[in-house]
Amino acid sequence: MMHCTMDDLLALQAGEASGWARKHLETCAVCRAELETLYQRVAQLKALPGLRAPRDRWPAVRAVVLAGRDRRRRVWSVGSLAAAAVLAGLLLVRPWGTDLEAQLVQAQQRSATLESTLQQVGGDGRVMSGREAALASALEDRIAAIDGQLAERQAKELEALNLWRQRADLMQQLVQVRVTRANYVGL
Amino acid sequence: MTISLTVPDVLVARAKTGDLEALEALYRAFEAPVYNLARRMLRNAEDAEDVLQETFLEVVRNIGQYRGEGHLWGWIRQIAASKALMRIRREQVRETEVFDEATAAGHAGHNVGQALDLERAMQELSDTGRAVVWLHDVEGYTHEEIAEMMGKSVSFSKSQLARAHTKLRRTLGAGMEVG
Repeated sequence: MMHCTMDDLLALQAGEASGWARKHLETCAVCRAELETLYQRVAQLKALPGLRAPRDRWPAVRAVVLAGRDRRRRVWSVGSLAAAAVLAGLLLVRPWGTDLEAQLVQAQQRSATLESTLQQVGGDGRVMSGREAALASALEDRIAAIDGQLAERQAKELEALNLWRQRADLMQQLVQVRVTRANYVGL
Repeated sequence: MTISLTVPDVLVARAKTGDLEALEALYRAFEAPVYNLARRMLRNAEDAEDVLQETFLEVVRNIGQYRGEGHLWGWIRQIAASKALMRIRREQVRETEVFDEATAAGHAGHNVGQALDLERAMQELSDTGRAVVWLHDVEGYTHEEIAEMMGKSVSFSKSQLARAHTKLRRTLGAGMEVG
């Protein structure tokens, strides 16, 4: 007598069996027992105890995440230094009039003061809310982009002034985010 | 292992913005089921731990793309299963499954009967067979879904499942020969 194959049994289990297999099952106690064994085996698989990782892998994941953020900050810092160097060069050459020069120096000084404030507030990567983190991250990215523009080319006087003003404004917003957080956590 | 994990939407929202505390909370919530899935699919614990780590690195990188359609566990599980299957594929480049077949056949000749429990029997399956059994029978993936994840055909998934169950049945010493 021909019995059901494992394919047939699995198809029966899935409700996709052929007409032959379904008819055969009605008359064959052996195959009914095999199908029952299959059901039991699957039930036993589902009932296997949950396994837990012997070691905590979160520190490793966290380290990779923080390394990525540090990398982004370093890019920002390098860009900031390069932008300052370009500004120093521009001040030395003085390609613009005194009024623009004064405004540029003012914007640069404002930016430097805010940057100093930011360093005092600190930023260890831990934030109280995800919204603040996202905002800070977006601001840092925009500042880095401006630093990149200032560093990559010798900006024309008005363009340089605009970029430094934008940088100072963004730095102001970043300080606000960080200070708000610092106050919130009671630092 | 039945998973009924729910995490607050606000936690997911915070995680999407890169909040480390929220990301760690997600890790803690899904660490056990991810590891369990990987460990059941893979031959050794070290590989399963690596899959756990790789899975959460991808979760951290891509949580912003999770749109909240379907259960978060389903999304994370999909990543974990794919990572485990990738590892199986990499292993298969180094050692063909002929070795596994030979190992299983060797044990089949012994009268191990009920002495071998189901976990050991699972370990004796080929890597692919074990993965398909776990994904289909326990995690509830369809053959179509498994085939897509593995880059194979539906009939491949079905035949792997049938072969694996035949081996399990033989290893566990159940009654008659089938097929």
